[in-house]
Amino acid sequence: MQSTLRELTGGAPVQRGRVKLQLPPLVENGNSVAFTVAVDSPMTADDHVRAIHVLTEQNPQPNVMSVRFGPRAGKAQFSSRTRLADSQTVHAVAELSDGSFWSDTVDVVVTLSACIGDLV
Amino acid sequence: MAEAIVSVPAAVKSGELIELKALIRHPMETGFRHTQNGERIPRNIITEFSCTYAGEPVFSAKLYPSVTANPLLTFFLRAATTAELVFRWRGDNGFDVTERALLRVG
Amino acid sequence: MDTIDFNRRSFLVSSAMAGGGLAIGLQLPFGATSAQAAGGTPEVNAWVVIKPDDTVVVRVARSEMGQGTITGLAQLVAEELECDWSKVTTEYPTPGENLRRKRVWQSFSTGGSRGIRTSHDYVRRGGAAARIMLLQAAAQAWGVPASELAVDKGVITHATSGRRTTYGRMAAAAAKLAPPEAKSIQLKDPKAWKIAGKPLQRLGLVEKVTGRQIYGADLKLPGMVNATIRECPVFGGKLKSYDAAKVSGMKGVKQVLRVGDTAVAVVADTWWHAKKALDSLPVEWDYGDNVRVSSATIAADLKAGLDAPKAFVGNQSGNAPEALAAAASKIEAVYSYPYQNHAPMEPMNATARYTPEKCEVWVPTQDGESSFAAVLAASGLPADKCEVYKIDLGGGFGRRGAFQDYVRQAVLIAKQMPGTPVKLLWTREEDMRQGRYHPVMQCKLTGGFDADKRLTGLHMRLSGQSILASVRPAVVEKAGGKDPLSFQGVADGGEHSIGYSFPNLLIDHAMRNPHVPPGFWRGVNINQNAIFMECFMDELAHAAGQDPLAFRRQFMSRYPRNLAVLDAVAERIGWDKPAPAGRHRGLAQMKAFDSFVAAACEISVDSTGKKVKVHRIVAATDPGYAVNPAQIERQIAGSFVYGLSALFMQECTVKDGRIEQDNFHTYNSMRIAQMPKVECIVMPSGGPVWGGIGEPTICVAAPAVLNAYFRATGNRLRSVPLKNHGIELV
Repeated sequence: MQSTLRELTGGAPVQRGRVKLQLPPLVENGNSVAFTVAVDSPMTADDHVRAIHVLTEQNPQPNVMSVRFGPRAGKAQFSSRTRLADSQTVHAVAELSDGSFWSDTVDVVVTLSACIGDLV
Repeated sequence: MAEAIVSVPAAVKSGELIELKALIRHPMETGFRHTQNGERIPRNIITEFSCTYAGEPVFSAKLYPSVTANPLLTFFLRAATTAELVFRWRGDNGFDVTERALLRVG
Repeated sequence: MDTIDFNRRSFLVSSAMAGGGLAIGLQLPFGATSAQAAGGTPEVNAWVVIKPDDTVVVRVARSEMGQGTITGLAQLVAEELECDWSKVTTEYPTPGENLRRKRVWQSFSTGGSRGIRTSHDYVRRGGAAARIMLLQAAAQAWGVPASELAVDKGVITHATSGRRTTYGRMAAAAAKLAPPEAKSIQLKDPKAWKIAGKPLQRLGLVEKVTGRQIYGADLKLPGMVNATIRECPVFGGKLKSYDAAKVSGMKGVKQVLRVGDTAVAVVADTWWHAKKALDSLPVEWDYGDNVRVSSATIAADLKAGLDAPKAFVGNQSGNAPEALAAAASKIEAVYSYPYQNHAPMEPMNATARYTPEKCEVWVPTQDGESSFAAVLAASGLPADKCEVYKIDLGGGFGRRGAFQDYVRQAVLIAKQMPGTPVKLLWTREEDMRQGRYHPVMQCKLTGGFDADKRLTGLHMRLSGQSILASVRPAVVEKAGGKDPLSFQGVADGGEHSIGYSFPNLLIDHAMRNPHVPPGFWRGVNINQNAIFMECFMDELAHAAGQDPLAFRRQFMSRYPRNLAVLDAVAERIGWDKPAPAGRHRGLAQMKAFDSFVAAACEISVDSTGKKVKVHRIVAATDPGYAVNPAQIERQIAGSFVYGLSALFMQECTVKDGRIEQDNFHTYNSMRIAQMPKVECIVMPSGGPVWGGIGEPTICVAAPAVLNAYFRATGNRLRSVPLKNHGIELV
């Protein structure tokens, strides 16, 4: 996931804060996990969120979704649903109009993964 | 279910912040699964979504295999005047679906 | 698994905190083993609460379902704690609490025979840490080094000054201390155990025997209503419509509700009224394509898989196909194993109360956190507005861990009646029809011999359903489409590895997944794999003209622990001496869940070959460590009740896309009079790995009996249950 993140940020530092990622802390099987990402931003021409990237640490491919907001968006918030292959940390990284990057993470436990121990 | 369903609020005031929902039927086949015989099932996903309002971009998304089947997207729009909302999904195998809705702002 | 988070903030004595922390789950009117909260009783740490009267409350994360794991875990904690066992009770922390405290109690999952073996280290450290802190508190109170103190049964003494105190008096001060570093704690050598390792009576036994134990099915809450449900009997089908008007006037009926896309429920004042109304409710289903599936179509599909060119390889060495092609002689056999239902005595149930501010569920569950996850998803509420209260189970066997369908249903019903507690209790018929079935499987085994009747190659081709493809697809995806769990007991390594080395071996699985939802039935895939492997080993021995035990020995030089349990049962049954007149013997061995197990049985068969009496089974297990030998013996015997009932009497057949067996008249279970005497040899050999108890032995009874049947009659039985051959267990 780190190399994917670097590609998205161009190597710029990513600070914790400004972003709120919401995901349930426990899911049964990870087939469909609802999430919301919100960034507190005035969303003006001078001060807005350019993009938000959602990434996972353990899925076969790290990227979940990358979104961009247009000038009509009004609010830097969106929701969708992701698959989670296993218990892991999910990251939301926001790129702001001033070029800075901010992130939030949530640890999600897939309770079914305890069911069968370490098979693979 | 129809291929695409969008949810747009009915009576909206100018300047109001409204929530839009866009749902489309699609298997979002990840490309990581195999058949019972061990053959890889090819990837078949929606890769892009966009929503415009009066021709201007509101929200767009790049989707990857982790997105759940029948992707649901919820996002926001600052309403201005009555105008058309255009929702478009594109993906593998030439998938290209557009749904339109009129946002009445009064 | 070595890190433990002892949350310092939680040690502060405050009646609000203690009341809140200890009261959850304790204000409810059930569970004599739950301690009543006394205001201001501190916990020494997350694992141990000590009351002023020296009562010890051990927090247990796993679930009690009759397997005695709660007692075993409490013994491990009490051993390190050095408290008085007669003062020990247990308590379940809630999943909500676990989340709030950063999962200090770790996994709640009770399945895979892992309750003790995967948690013993950290629960022992929890008990030891509490002991260290209590001693430190006394040391500080007396101004002496802790090393000068001794403790026995919760009484702390200082030899030189003659001072003496108890845990109850030191608990409040201990709670304020910093916990020791988990890794630095020295655990006791099991050879020095005084509480663990002993055959102590199970906690909660008296309540269970006297009927005071409250199960989910017994739960009564103020203002509670009762519901029962019917889901589309054809798996994958949908609910089309129902005519509520026909039943809403019936006695006691409050609501008739759609539950999701696939089920309809009736809510009434009493469960009986709900059931009567549901029985009378006209319902239309959209069955879908699966209505065309039957046991015959499934069997045909599986049979084709036995010869399919492609299959997932689970274990191989050398080149079995070549060795078999070159063999001087070969034998081949096809075995089959049916769908089976868990059929716990207590049908599926959950009680839910929903408001937009809080969703609470009371449920017998093998994994409180899975239940919690289901509540989050079904209620749509955030975690801090949800809670699950665990109740001891009237049987789990694998139905109530990975599958929380009844929780989801209860919440969806409760959401339609906000503020009212709704107890959803399935009928027995619903429980039988909406199971998560042991997967159906066939197996073709081929063995090749050279001219001297030495085994040169073995091919075991499984054809049948994968559990994980349905339940944990991510694991199957990671393995390139293969289900590694299909090879339990014959795998090429790990907790279920094979106990033989063959010169050329191929074990592969042609995956064929019918629409019937699979699940983890006690023992899971070792049940059929033990029959397939251990019965075919007898067939090979017979073809080679050798004794089954001597034949096996040739392939077990690399598996001393397998050999040890096999030799133990052979010796006890008197394998090298003639059996009593009219009796015949069989044996089997397997490694599963990191335990090594074997069984030898003695049976007699009447002259028609249709009546079988199992006189005696000798079972041996080497689980590494034995926390409660008496409990292990009971688990072994219980596993044979389950396994032999399955062998003789149990199958679920499919007709018109649905399961046919809907109650115990067509899905029978053995009775006390049929139960053989079980002699247990518990032979823990230590080492770095702890093995499980709940499941491993279940798999060896059936092949031992089948092998004995051949020696009695010359007939090889290759499909189960035996009732299908007209055979009865007497």
